[in-house]
Amino acid sequence: MPSASLVFQSVVLGVLLGGLYALLAAGLTLYFGVMRVVMIAHSAFLILAAYLAWYAHRETGVDPLLTLPVTVPLFFVAGVAVQRLLLTRLRPATLTMMSVLLTFSVALVIEGLLGYAFSGTQRRIRLGYSSAGLEFFGARVAVVKLIAFGLAATALLGLYLLMRHSRFGQALRATIQHREAAALVGIDTDRIAGYGFGLGLATAAVGGTALALDTTIYPSLHWHWIGPLMAIIVVGGLGSVPGAAIAAMALGLTQSLLQLELSTTWAQTVFYVALFVTLAVRPQGFFGGRLAQRF
Amino acid sequence: MPRDSERPRRTGTLLRLGALLATVAAALSFPSMAPSPYELTVGIASLNFAVLSTSWNFVGGFTGYISLGHGAFAGLGAYATGLLVTKGELPSFVALFAAAALVAVLAIPVGYAALRVRGASFVIVSIALVLILLLVFQSWASFTGGSRGLVVPRPFPGKLRSEHHEIFYFLFLGLLALALLAWWIIDRSRFGMGLKAIREDEDKAQSLGTPTYTYKLVVFVVSAAFTALAGGLYGLWFGDLDPVFQFSILSGAYMVLMALLGGVRHLYGPLLGAVIVGYGLEYSKLEYGDTPLHLVFAGLLLGVVVMFMPDGVIPAVTGLIARVRGTGETSIREVTAAQLRDEREEREADVRPNHGRDHRRDRRSDGKEPDGKREVRQ
Repeated sequence: MPSASLVFQSVVLGVLLGGLYALLAAGLTLYFGVMRVVMIAHSAFLILAAYLAWYAHRETGVDPLLTLPVTVPLFFVAGVAVQRLLLTRLRPATLTMMSVLLTFSVALVIEGLLGYAFSGTQRRIRLGYSSAGLEFFGARVAVVKLIAFGLAATALLGLYLLMRHSRFGQALRATIQHREAAALVGIDTDRIAGYGFGLGLATAAVGGTALALDTTIYPSLHWHWIGPLMAIIVVGGLGSVPGAAIAAMALGLTQSLLQLELSTTWAQTVFYVALFVTLAVRPQGFFGGRLAQRF
Repeated sequence: MPRDSERPRRTGTLLRLGALLATVAAALSFPSMAPSPYELTVGIASLNFAVLSTSWNFVGGFTGYISLGHGAFAGLGAYATGLLVTKGELPSFVALFAAAALVAVLAIPVGYAALRVRGASFVIVSIALVLILLLVFQSWASFTGGSRGLVVPRPFPGKLRSEHHEIFYFLFLGLLALALLAWWIIDRSRFGMGLKAIREDEDKAQSLGTPTYTYKLVVFVVSAAFTALAGGLYGLWFGDLDPVFQFSILSGAYMVLMALLGGVRHLYGPLLGAVIVGYGLEYSKLEYGDTPLHLVFAGLLLGVVVMFMPDGVIPAVTGLIARVRGTGETSIREVTAAQLRDEREEREADVRPNHGRDHRRDRRSDGKEPDGKREVRQ
C-alpha cells in the first residue's frame, strides 16, 4: 500500500495531467460538434506545435512559451483551411467516415515531414527552470508541469468564456446543437464551422507547447496521444465540451493513481477499458453527449 | 441488369473471363519469371497486402463500416500462430488455422462492443483496439517476447531460401483465391444483400426486417478470421514478429487505402489497390531508404483517393471508358431545359411510389452503375 503522501502526489500529478487532456479533448470534441468529424490529425498538430516550440528554442534560445503568439494564430488559420479546403468538399452522406481517413492522411503527412525535417531522434527542451520544483503540502511538483497546467487552464477558461459570452460562441453553440436551425436564424454556419475548427486547432497549439516543456518528443508520438484522447471524447459524449473536460479529469486522475501499483504502460490501458465499458453500457457517453447517440 | 442490352453484356463477360484467365496465368508464372528472389519477396508482400485488404473489404465494402484497426487482427493472427508453434508445439499449419479460429472467437466480443455504435465511434474503437493490443503485447514481454521480438520457426526447415519464398508465394495466392471466392459468394447471396442494405441505409434495412446487428457481427468475424489467416501466414513466412509492426495503425490504414483505391464495391478493387500500393511502397523504400517520406506519400495518396475518387480506380476507369465509347452517361447531363421539363412531366405522369426522393441512395443500390451519374450532385 503506497503511503498517503505518495497518493497525494499522484492526485496532484493526475489533476495536472487531466488538465492537459481536458484541453486537447475539448478541441477534438469541438470538431465533432461543428462538423461531425473525427479529427485524427489533432494529436499530430499537437506534436507539430511541440516541435515548433523546440525548434524555436534550439535556434534562438527563446522560451518555448514565446512561440505561442505565432503558433496559435497559425494553427487557427490552418484549422480554418483544413475545414474549408478539405472537409467541406467531402460528400455529406459519407462525411464522418471519410473525414476520418482524410484527417488520418493529414496526420501521416505531418508525421512524415516532421521525421524528414528533424529525424526520428527524441528531442527535449532543456530550460533553466526544467528541474525546479515546488513543495506543495508534501507533494513535489515540477514547475514545468505547473506551467503546462496553467496554460491548459487558461486556454480552457478562455474557450469557456468565448463559448458562453460572445456572439461567436453563441453562434458556435447553436451550430453544434442544430445546424439547420442555426442557419435558419441567420447564422452563417459554414463560416462558424470554419472558425470552430480553427479554434480547435488553436487549442492543439497551446497543448503542444505545454507538452514540449516537459516531455521528450518524437515524430510518431502522436499515436501515443490519439488513443487516450479518442477514449476521452467517447466517454465524455461526442460533441460535448464539458463532458470531454470531466472525462479527461477523471481518466487522467485514474491513470495517475493506477501508476502507483502498475507500470506506466498498463496504467494507460485505463483509457481503453473505459472506452469499451462506455460503449457496452452507455454508447452515447457518460457526460452530456446527446449528439453521440446517432453516431 | 435489365437495362443493358444482351450483346455488349456477353462480350463483356467474355472479356472479363479472358482478363481473369490472363491475370491468373500471370500470377501463377510470376515465381518462375521473377528475375531475383527480391522481386519474389515483393510479390509475396503484395499478395499479403491483397489478402489483407480483401479481408478488410468484407466489412468495409459490404457494410460501409470503416475499420482502421484491422491491423490488430493480422497481428493477433501472426502472434497466435507464432505462440502456438513455439509454446504450444503445434505443427505450423495446424497452428495457423487454430490461430484464425481463436481470433474469430475473440472478434465476437470486440465486434459486439464496436458494432453497437456507428460511424465515428466505430472507427475510434477500431483504432483503440490496435493501440491497446500494442500496449499489451509490448508490456507482457514474458509471454510475447515484447520488443525483443518473437521468432517463429520456419515450417519447412529443409528448404532453401528461394524455395521457401516460392512455396509461400503460392500459399498466399491460394489464400487470396479463397478470400476472393468467399467475397464473391457473399456478394451474390441474400446475406450480402442484407449487408449492402446496411451500407445504404441501416435504419431502413432494420425496419424492413434485416437482422442488421447479427449480419454485421457475422461479417465482422469472417473478416477478422481471414485477416488473421493472412497475418499468421505472414508470421510463418517472415519468421520474426515485433509488436510495433504487427500492431500498427499504419497497417490498418494501408488496408483501407488499398481497398478504397481500387474500389470497395468491386471484387478485385482491393487486389488492384494492393498491387499499386505494394509496388509504390517498395519503390519509395528503395528510392528514399530509411527516411519517413513513404509516410508522406501514403498520406498524400490516401488524401487524394478520399477527396477525388472515393469510389476507387475501377469505377473511375470504367466510367471513363464508357464515356469514351459513348455508352455511358456524361458527367454533365447535356439536356436542354425543355427536355428536362418533358422528363419531369413524364415522371409526374406515372406515379411510381417506390422511386425515392433521394436519388443518391437509389443509384447505389446495386453499386454497378457507371460513375458518370454520380457526378451530378444537388
